[in-house]
Amino acid sequence: MKKKKIFSLLMASALCLSVLAGCGSEPAGSSQSGSTQPSNTQSGGSQAEASGTTQGGGGKQYEGVELTMWSMWTSAEPQAQVIQEAAAAFEEQTGAKVNIEWKGRDINQVLSASLEAKDKFDIFEDDYQRIANVYAEYTYDLTDMAKAVDYDSFSYPCLNNQVIAWTGNLNSIVEQPQVGGVFYDKDAFEKAGVTAEPKTWKEFLDVCQKLKDSGVGPIAQDGAYCDFAFYHQLVRHLGEDKITELALNGGWSGTEAETAAQEIIDLINAGYFVDGAPDEFPSSENKIGFGMAAMIVCANYVTAEVNGNTGTEVNWGLFNYPAVENGAENTAAYAGANSLAITSYSENAQAAFDFIMLLTTGEFDQKMADTAKQIPADNRNTAPAILNGTVETLLAAEVPMTWCAGLHANDDLKTSFKSMCVELFEGKYASGADFCKALDALY
Amino acid sequence: MKNINWKKEFKLLPGYIIVVLWVAFTAVMLCWILGASLSTSREIFSGSIFKFETGLHWENYATAWQVQNVSVFFGNSLLYSVVSCFGVLAISAPAAYVLSRWKFTGGAALRIGLVIAMSVPIIMVIMPIYSIVVQLGIKGRVLLILLYIMMRVPYTTIYLLDFFATLSRSYEEAAYLDGCSAPKTFLRIMLPLVQPAVVTVTIFNFMSVWNEFFMALIFTSSESMTPVGVGLLNIVNSMKYTGNYGGMFAAVIIVFLPTFLLYIFMSEKIIAGVTGGGVKG
Amino acid sequence: MKKNKAMIFWFSLPSLLCLLIMFVYPVCRTVLMSFFKVESVTAGLSDWGFYGIGNYSKIFGSQTFRTAMGNMLLIWLVGGVITLVLAMLMAVVITSGIRGKKFFRAAIYMPNIISAVALATMWIQYIFNYDYGLLNEMVKVFGGDKIKWLGSDMKFWSMVAAFIFGSVGYYMLIYISGIEGIPLDFFEAATLDGAGKVKQFTHITLPLLKGVIKTSITFWSINATTFFLWTKMFSPIDTEEATIVPVVYLYDTVFGGKGIVTRDAGAGAAVGVVLTVIIIIVYVITQKLFKSGDLEY
Repeated sequence: MKKKKIFSLLMASALCLSVLAGCGSEPAGSSQSGSTQPSNTQSGGSQAEASGTTQGGGGKQYEGVELTMWSMWTSAEPQAQVIQEAAAAFEEQTGAKVNIEWKGRDINQVLSASLEAKDKFDIFEDDYQRIANVYAEYTYDLTDMAKAVDYDSFSYPCLNNQVIAWTGNLNSIVEQPQVGGVFYDKDAFEKAGVTAEPKTWKEFLDVCQKLKDSGVGPIAQDGAYCDFAFYHQLVRHLGEDKITELALNGGWSGTEAETAAQEIIDLINAGYFVDGAPDEFPSSENKIGFGMAAMIVCANYVTAEVNGNTGTEVNWGLFNYPAVENGAENTAAYAGANSLAITSYSENAQAAFDFIMLLTTGEFDQKMADTAKQIPADNRNTAPAILNGTVETLLAAEVPMTWCAGLHANDDLKTSFKSMCVELFEGKYASGADFCKALDALY
Repeated sequence: MKNINWKKEFKLLPGYIIVVLWVAFTAVMLCWILGASLSTSREIFSGSIFKFETGLHWENYATAWQVQNVSVFFGNSLLYSVVSCFGVLAISAPAAYVLSRWKFTGGAALRIGLVIAMSVPIIMVIMPIYSIVVQLGIKGRVLLILLYIMMRVPYTTIYLLDFFATLSRSYEEAAYLDGCSAPKTFLRIMLPLVQPAVVTVTIFNFMSVWNEFFMALIFTSSESMTPVGVGLLNIVNSMKYTGNYGGMFAAVIIVFLPTFLLYIFMSEKIIAGVTGGGVKG
Repeated sequence: MKKNKAMIFWFSLPSLLCLLIMFVYPVCRTVLMSFFKVESVTAGLSDWGFYGIGNYSKIFGSQTFRTAMGNMLLIWLVGGVITLVLAMLMAVVITSGIRGKKFFRAAIYMPNIISAVALATMWIQYIFNYDYGLLNEMVKVFGGDKIKWLGSDMKFWSMVAAFIFGSVGYYMLIYISGIEGIPLDFFEAATLDGAGKVKQFTHITLPLLKGVIKTSITFWSINATTFFLWTKMFSPIDTEEATIVPVVYLYDTVFGGKGIVTRDAGAGAAVGVVLTVIIIIVYVITQKLFKSGDLEY
């Protein structure tokens, strides 16, 4: 009894000490985290010569300027490390001071209010769709500045055009582009004797069968991405506009949506989904890392996730979602981005823009792509090996598909759509017609 | 003391079975988290954490503490919990006392107000407060401390009120006869008498502030003021991309262990208080 | 005893202020807001456009909100009955004179001090896992087929089960402190009168715990209506129908979720008002059901 008390006391005091230490070292701790974490890939010949966007470069042009950036990362993430380095380089080059506040991925809930209250910050990061649709009136029009550096020539026009289509001007600069499609394990394809990436649905089914025969589950599917996967099938058959119209008004029965759903049901019946699918995120996607599955319909971050979760280096490949017969939209691919924007009331918009350019082009963008395993925002850079082919896919994409945009058009029903998509993949519907009937019953 | 009354123990057997099963399940859960905190993500996701084929990954803890900023979250949570516990008591105990003792103008209204406030879902107040906070530009740790204090006041006051109400008035009468002033009587005699309740409610307050999530999620505007709950969520979220689940569970253990020890330490006090405090009749 | 007016004033003032600042003003404003068309939370009064009951007809016309309400009701009713009964059971067992009482009490309460984020991750990645999860391992031992605990049929109940497991300890502590507040001589007298354990429980413990039970029901109602984090954890990418609850709906409407580009603070306020009204109704009913005077023993 006595001993226990003493032990508890000791623990308590140890706790206090550690807490005090924790509190005391906090500012140091956060900056430390940036430097102690070893960067896995140092891009060669790191010359702090930013890609020709900072004008002159001779005098310290932004002496006395103070920029504040609200980041969507936490300081522990690899992105933060690169941003930190870019900020230091920018301070070095221009004399401006860059403060970065790490807000984390929930930045969207502080952003609207802070923008409305005109909080003092110049740059912020968020999903580009949200920047274009929610914060547009508080963002700086970057069109002219972008023209001055010929931004379109080294970025992804499809993303820029999408922003302009939403807001009428360019109000964000891509930092982390994303692309979707079918990601697959090249080794598994090779083992199964698949030589070419499937282009059509028929070829796709063929590949599935070959994979199945080789003893691997052809397709992995997590419940959380069921709507995203089925959306691809719908877009191929109907096109995004038609989906939006149906989502808003109903009338799915009798349309090509029946075929789309039937094709998914056929996949299930043919046993082309890996055991357990649709599983709880990230169980099913991890099966690719464990060599139990070969393909997944997702966005590019799935590659880094699977590699990280399973500690393997999957030999990733990507092909666009296969085309269907008589499809309405057979080329579109999902494209999205986390982007940087400047507040409309920023007093140092040009300086902020220059910093954004430093961060999203050349050396720092390459570093970002390498350490965070993402697609480079500067198309002249090279994607990390696990994202081979993504830059080309993005550049080639003429019609970007937005994340389930058609289904999301109906605010009220989108969660219902989502759970019905899960049920579809679970094999709850006997036929595509049944599925569409159930969809129509929602209205 | 050492004699085991087997007949009595046998009668209690169903009770034992229930609690033992429950606790065993908790233990399995905890062991799993502990095991996971010492494993790699691969081991976690292949269901082989207890084999430790690649050894014990103690570095998860170092990573969690330094790189994932758990030290910062931890310090913040401790600050929020401790300061708001004291703040709440300082406001609630006096109010609970006077409310339980005297009928006065507005007293009934205050009491009803507090009871109602206790039941007001936090989402009902969060939007206007958000807007006030933004307008006044209140930022940083002090904001959450203030909010937590005010948030816990109704519950604490009502809780203590019930306990003050059970105390006999003979204490005050005796103190009055001894010439003790009313505030002094409260501080010296009445408050110590409800000490068990104070300890219990403080533990509840501590834990609820420590584990509070919704307000923290909405009002935390930077990493330097993030408490553990939201911090852990951030870690889980970034884990999805970096794949260091072992580090995440290490963070969980770091966050959990001190509170657990504190709880064991404090629960002794509750028992002592509940059984030993106050004269009956 | 004499009244000390100054003391009463100064003793109750701070809590009164808290009440006004933290609850009265915000509640009034939220109620008001629910009748206006307000897009942004921070919009000043001048930007509000009167909307009548538009916000209410919007949310009640929304399939998603109705699903969310249905889920919440199930959590409150089914989850509540199970949690409170289990908690009472544990409390009675622990106070029945078993050995290791302190240990069991601490152990059962323990899930409460683990962050819910961690608990949820543990449930999802381990207990409910399809391939190697604890439950499916047990199912295999008994020779059954693996069950998809997180499939669309089971997900909601899996989530509720996980939530219940984490909640029981808290209510158990409340009940224990209530039971221990009952003077032992009551039980001794009852034992002398030949009353069995069950009879003692129904005739002494339960009636004397009325106040505590009332409190616990109120707490549970608040917990159920403000259910949020578990849904967030059980729908990792974006909100799902199986697990959606009103607060998540409110959060998405007010702050915007993944792929949500419109914000509507007015509708959010209406959700808040609806939830509050529900809590008030529940409170009034429990108050009626458990009429109890102030016990002094």
